[in-house]
Amino acid sequence: MMPTDPQNRVALENDGVRLDIVEKVTGRAKYTTDHYLPRMLHAAYIRSPFGRSKLVAEKLDAARAVKGVLEVEITKREGRYHGDRLGHVCAESPAALFEAMTALACEFEHDRPRTRLGVERTPRADLKPADNAAQADEALARSDAVVEVEYETQVQTHCCLEPHIVVVDFRGDSAIAYGSTQGTFSVRDDLARALQLPPDRVEFHCEYVGGGFGGKFGMGAEGELAARMSKKYARPCRVGCDRKEEQLDTGNRPGSLQYMKIGVARDGTIQGGHVATWGSVGPTGGGQASAGGGGGGGVRNPSRYKFGTIAKIHEDVSLNGGFPRAMRAPGHPQAMFAVELCMDALAAKVAMDPVEFRLHNEINELRKRMLREGAAMIGWSDRKPDGAWPGVIKRGYGVGVGDWGNGRGRATITVNLYRNGTVEVLSGAQDIGTGYRTLLADIVHTHLGIERERVVAKVGNSRYPVGPASGGSVTSRTVAPRAFNAAEMARQGLIKVVAKEWELPDASAVSFADGTFRAGDRSIDFARACRLMTEEMMTFTASEEGEFWKNPTGSEAVQFALVEVDTETGIIRVKKMIAIQEVGLPVNRNTVENQITGAVIQGLSFCLFEDRILNRQTGAMVNANMDQYKIAGPMDVPEIVPVIWRSREDAGVNSLGEPPIVPTAGAIGCAIANAIGAQVTSMPITPDKVLAAIAAKERAR
Amino acid sequence: MKAFDYLVAHSLDAALAANDPAKVRLKAGGIDLIDLMKERLAPPGAPDVVLTIDRLDDLRGIRESDGGLLIGATTTLADVARSDLVKAKYRALWDVTAHAATPQVRERATVGGNLCQRPRCWYFRNAEFDCLKKGGPTCFAVEGESRYHAILGGGPCHIVHPSNLAPALVALDAQVLIRSARAGERRVAARDFFALPRDSMFREHTLDDGEIVTGVLLPTPPTQSAAIEFREKQSFDWPIAIAAVARHADGWRVALGAVAPVPWFSKPASDLLGNADVTLDLATRAGDAAASEARPMRDNAYKVQLVKVAVKRSLLAAAGLEVPK
Repeated sequence: MMPTDPQNRVALENDGVRLDIVEKVTGRAKYTTDHYLPRMLHAAYIRSPFGRSKLVAEKLDAARAVKGVLEVEITKREGRYHGDRLGHVCAESPAALFEAMTALACEFEHDRPRTRLGVERTPRADLKPADNAAQADEALARSDAVVEVEYETQVQTHCCLEPHIVVVDFRGDSAIAYGSTQGTFSVRDDLARALQLPPDRVEFHCEYVGGGFGGKFGMGAEGELAARMSKKYARPCRVGCDRKEEQLDTGNRPGSLQYMKIGVARDGTIQGGHVATWGSVGPTGGGQASAGGGGGGGVRNPSRYKFGTIAKIHEDVSLNGGFPRAMRAPGHPQAMFAVELCMDALAAKVAMDPVEFRLHNEINELRKRMLREGAAMIGWSDRKPDGAWPGVIKRGYGVGVGDWGNGRGRATITVNLYRNGTVEVLSGAQDIGTGYRTLLADIVHTHLGIERERVVAKVGNSRYPVGPASGGSVTSRTVAPRAFNAAEMARQGLIKVVAKEWELPDASAVSFADGTFRAGDRSIDFARACRLMTEEMMTFTASEEGEFWKNPTGSEAVQFALVEVDTETGIIRVKKMIAIQEVGLPVNRNTVENQITGAVIQGLSFCLFEDRILNRQTGAMVNANMDQYKIAGPMDVPEIVPVIWRSREDAGVNSLGEPPIVPTAGAIGCAIANAIGAQVTSMPITPDKVLAAIAAKERAR
Repeated sequence: MKAFDYLVAHSLDAALAANDPAKVRLKAGGIDLIDLMKERLAPPGAPDVVLTIDRLDDLRGIRESDGGLLIGATTTLADVARSDLVKAKYRALWDVTAHAATPQVRERATVGGNLCQRPRCWYFRNAEFDCLKKGGPTCFAVEGESRYHAILGGGPCHIVHPSNLAPALVALDAQVLIRSARAGERRVAARDFFALPRDSMFREHTLDDGEIVTGVLLPTPPTQSAAIEFREKQSFDWPIAIAAVARHADGWRVALGAVAPVPWFSKPASDLLGNADVTLDLATRAGDAAASEARPMRDNAYKVQLVKVAVKRSLLAAAGLEVPK
């Protein structure tokens, strides 16, 4: 099945722009930061300025004496990372808060911090070998060629355009709160516990959210402090991160080191070998929950190809830096950077074309088709041997793959029909910027066969029916079948109204298609049918999927990169990306393509630019801002061709948030290696590393 | 941010009269100052008064003057980039102005602010580091992360000067026009306007207290000029190396940016070139000469290569020869 077949691309024929686009570009959309409540307090954390700090002196009285300051508390004196929370200030205004922080004049001592994964890890030889180490050795022994290399990936911080923020208005026996979150109900439940209220007494709003990416579940440290201050002073309280705090203490994708020693047979079949990975975690270890983050340093290496017998060992390495937190496909993009470069190195050992080598070792039949299709689209036949492109500016081609397991969450969808012909679809789950509103409205209007403008989608409010947290790419996939089901219930409900009006004892005599009800030679359009309702509104709620559950595919992804590298300066320009993505049933083409394109940009930014840099003397992050923490900008974004692939007509809505970021860094890394004739094994791939790789290659000649 | 009084100057004389260095900070586009104030770095701490001069029409605009060009201090980078005169006659300046930062920044950032902005060194910019420039005991770049720091003229502080216009102005033999209430107007060559940390730790220029930059004066146009910037990112990034070259009646000037605490006039490269016509071989040798003085730190040896290539390519561009793109 060709991916470019129009039938294939837009199953529901929804090409509409996202529903809230006007609100967002005109500023009418109200984000949490826009909620300034009467008598609102402002609170913030006192933070450690170093990786390992000791607070030795502070002027509490001076800070408390600042006009407008309600309280200043120190809760601990030792900081374990830059940004670690040592206490807080609560004040009447942002200005008083700032002044109190200055007046507090904290003095710190600091010890040598743990800042570098390569320095602090346990050497491979000292780690407990995998149980199957002997079998891996045998696989290497029977191999005709072996690749042995270590790859490095950096820490990528959460850096949403909308920083973490919570506003809590405690009112005695109830509360109203606002926040930027990926989990409406997780924040509501957290706040209810913190305020000691039943969950139904907390009304939580997140109508507009400026990005999530895994870093915004639960009330977080911000909600915890806002709730505490609001309850204590019986006034609204706002706690939001500034840019620096956002970089320091809202979580990150952990850094990794990935040692791979892999053997391959002359015919291109990978035999197996050893993989050792190390992941950077927070100062108190990995895998634990904390208000500012949590999560381990796991790396999904090996994966996606038939690697034979692999003996895998892993160590989480504690550093004096902020904690890891889930980030778009946790553990995957960094793994596939190493895996794809290793695949290219293995292919070179047996003199095979990288695509042919992947086809030979690929575990997934669908991806094989994507590999062939993508190769044609990028112009793979123009690819030259590594480093062989003529001239100073060299072109390179690379490929990477990915996929995603399609999980499920809980969801209830309500559809309200009004006599005036308006249709409302309600879900408490949040639109983190991906187009959840649009998805709901498009499902309902398409299923009812009515104009899109009739449908109003309301989301991001805990008063609406429960919906999933947006993690693991479950939102659309969980909600879509229930939204179809609720729309179908509404359809049947209105059919009954029409049947009653037409005095037909059997409602099944009435058909409803293209917005028109028909029975025999009678017909009535949707708006008129609504006016037949005896009540102002009819409500239909679906917590089940009914007949609308469709099995997912594996959300397979294949991407091809075309880059140009200036071999005199090491500067990289990504020229084109082909991003093929199995999406199952695409509900709205614009938002689907947007997801794919956004993931490619984020993956490119990870591969080339982003890097949490900790000063080795003090452990302070030197680039905790959006100036020197480099993120791809418009001129860095290449031509991106999102290809919506639908392999089965009967597939349901697939997970889409995470899979398209999995292949990107690997594809670009391989393309750079093809261009310059040497692998840059460490991300971000910056000009200094490119020049060093070229120089090393020249020396080896 | 700390609360402050906001004064709007409606005439240059009023601005000069109000410019009390003890408590007033000047603001034009505000690109630099606001960042410093948020981080409590605009000395002394946070200013009590911000005096904005960006509405002084006298200081805005580009006009021909004495066979050269006068560019007012509050002219925005976008205005410079839109000038056909600059593009046609002072290509080196146009090259760096037209590609600086982002379109939004260029519409706010001014020529005077670009010259007077504080360094972007990540130790200076973060309150967590008590570095030499803030009166502290050490330059953290020496033992720490130095990938963007100086390879020329460093020590004891190793910042690079952030102005991307400055190397072009140095190569073009521009003069900086300066006024104060006390001393009236004076002019200083762009080459002498900036100061190394070993001579001036707490300011990167040679302005006296109370002085305001009112503009820059470009002399008779060079016969050839060009500039090239290298950046890791192509949007909104600071250059990692700049070369600006200009051929005057008496020969070439080569100036470097983003590699030294001041816009760096390269005597070895300028001397080597003399007043010769550029060839690929000569351009390559000039690049090598420019890099010959470099003393890289732990993380920034790659900049030596970038200097060589930037000088070579800017000479090729100035001479109308082919430049890899």
